[in-house]
Amino acid sequence: MDFTLSPDQELLRDTARQLMQRECPSELLRAHIDDPAAADPLWRHLRDFAALGDGPLADLCLFAEEMGYVAAPGPFFPTTALFSPLLGALGHELLSPALAGEITGTVAVAGADGGWQANDDRVKTFVPEADRVDWVAIVSSGPAVTLVQSPSTRRVTTVDFSRRMFEVEVGSGSGPAHSVDVEGFESVLDRATVALAAEMVGTARRLFDMTLEYAKERVQFDVPIGSFQAIQHKLAEVALDLERATSAVYYAGMAIDAKDADRHRAAHVAKAAAGAAATRAAKDGIQVHGGIGYTWEHDLHLFIRHAYGSEAWLGTRDWHHDRLAELLF
Amino acid sequence: MQLSWGPEEEAFRAELVAFLDEHVPHEADKGFDYADPGEHEDGDLIPEWGRAWQATLFDHRWMIPAYPPELGGRNCTPVQTLIYLEEMARRRVPRSFHFPGYAIVAPSLLEFGSDAQRELVPAAIRGDTIWCIGMSEPNAGSDLAGLSTRAEVHDDHFVVNGQKVWTSYAMVAQKCFCYVRTDPSAPKHKGISLLIMDMDTPGIDIRPLRHISGAANFAEVFFSDVVVPRENLVGTLNDGWRITQGSLAHERAGLWVEGVSRLETTIHGLVNLATRRGLIDDPIVRRRLAELSERAASLRALGYKGFSSFAQGSSAPEHSFMKMATSELGKECWEYGMELQGAYGAVADPDRGEEGGRWVMGFFMSFANTIAGGSSEIQRNIIAQRVLGLPRAR
Repeated sequence: MDFTLSPDQELLRDTARQLMQRECPSELLRAHIDDPAAADPLWRHLRDFAALGDGPLADLCLFAEEMGYVAAPGPFFPTTALFSPLLGALGHELLSPALAGEITGTVAVAGADGGWQANDDRVKTFVPEADRVDWVAIVSSGPAVTLVQSPSTRRVTTVDFSRRMFEVEVGSGSGPAHSVDVEGFESVLDRATVALAAEMVGTARRLFDMTLEYAKERVQFDVPIGSFQAIQHKLAEVALDLERATSAVYYAGMAIDAKDADRHRAAHVAKAAAGAAATRAAKDGIQVHGGIGYTWEHDLHLFIRHAYGSEAWLGTRDWHHDRLAELLF
Repeated sequence: MQLSWGPEEEAFRAELVAFLDEHVPHEADKGFDYADPGEHEDGDLIPEWGRAWQATLFDHRWMIPAYPPELGGRNCTPVQTLIYLEEMARRRVPRSFHFPGYAIVAPSLLEFGSDAQRELVPAAIRGDTIWCIGMSEPNAGSDLAGLSTRAEVHDDHFVVNGQKVWTSYAMVAQKCFCYVRTDPSAPKHKGISLLIMDMDTPGIDIRPLRHISGAANFAEVFFSDVVVPRENLVGTLNDGWRITQGSLAHERAGLWVEGVSRLETTIHGLVNLATRRGLIDDPIVRRRLAELSERAASLRALGYKGFSSFAQGSSAPEHSFMKMATSELGKECWEYGMELQGAYGAVADPDRGEEGGRWVMGFFMSFANTIAGGSSEIQRNIIAQRVLGLPRAR
């Protein structure tokens, strides 16, 4: 098993990193809180990478990790990690404009209980960016997929400023139903789950980097607080969770790309491990920052919010543990 | 990135598997997943079949695959070494019942020893000579450099006085790799030397120590005016600390495999235990077992990721995490095995407890892994300071 990046993958990661740093500063995240259009200029850059929706998952993960590092908002994630793969599973003609970055889309699956399984609930929950994307793919039991435009939506405010969530009324937009086979739909969900885990690893790394830097700079009792063992051991544990989650994510990416028999298990492990890393980096990050980390003006909370929003989406840690248990025993 | 090894590596694995199928002794099939409790009599810490098996591995050049044939290997690449460690761990076949000789003494003598001392290496690897390592002392545990066993320097010999403790295999060893203070006036890291001692030298007194499980496989070793010839000094006088830092480097990138593999066996055992006790449909039990599985699976991925960087020639920070993480998770698993037995969790009677007391024994033995070889707290210090670059406390 080889985790070494190819030269192309290194280039993709470096390009993504520079792009995010340049085009997604925290000022954009703050402007986006009240005005979702603030993320439109970012989308005009990210759309050039929409083809990642159909390539190796490992590549999408590299890109998503850098998105998570800046908590990038907008339609890129739902379009490339959910909508395009679902169109691919359907063999739908919208796939090519989606991969070209010409259209955006999102996918509605969860019902009243918030669980990521096909169902016939009349109101779909936790649908990201549903009010601003071009298409919403509604998945009902079967699984059957209906592609609609401008359905009736209602914003559900979550802690996460970077991922705007909606309820979508089923039947509020019309379109023909397409069927997708169960395995194809599971692959779409596995793919989205691992891509989200990659994003979370990026967010966790951002929280960790901010915290590590602060621990080296902040002086109390005449020394940097990072010289105290209480802080060192906390950060060592965060680093461990971050490293194991990163490894689990790329292992899952490779397993899915290789259609390996272990891929479903690997996807659950990746999301659960990423959840552990992101929430620990968030909690210990604010604790190490002390009072300044508790303020609105400091950027830390933008990433803490994204960490918890992501943990709750596409299956919590507990939810993935329960699925893992079904696979293992 | 790719998931599987290439055809050349798999051919190597097939050759190894064929050798193991033919030669692994049946006694090795007991498949223990906790540290060997050393339940034998003192003289029998190393079972006869274990000695023969280690010699067989050496003679067939499978003892340390990365070494040349005369040292029991076949000049393997790092990837081949990893595959070797994977297969041995998968079958839970121990290479040796006494690690100090092949894992610590051999690589250290090859790097730092004189020509005459390097001649001791083949027997150390083959297991013909049993070694113990004189490191820890009553007042030098995690702070190993604070050791105070004293060696007076004379023209052609040293005279050693002091005490070592937790010395594994001391009661059966022929030789000791012993760290001593040769310059009490120098800063503590700069006054330490390494000596080779014959354990039958007059003045060495070995007192076996029983450990928490009740068995004895380590000892206190007392030195009273022990005379050691000058040529038994390894490396340079007062420069012994450097040698403690280099042990095991040749296989370090793959040593995690055994730890992770044991964890997986233990978790598999927990699932079987929960099934036998009618708890496997309990949602709380299921979630907890899945969480343990998730952590073990992510550690396996982390091990491979670290190995990838190592094979590319960069130092791999991932490995600093593996010892701490596998040992701590192991302890949690063993404790959970006791918890799953309810009121019977504390039963030590092999006839009444589950699996002959496996879970109780495994729990007690698991502390060896979070304490020995650098405690988890020391590992966190190392991660914080060497990997994360945090400043040392003043």
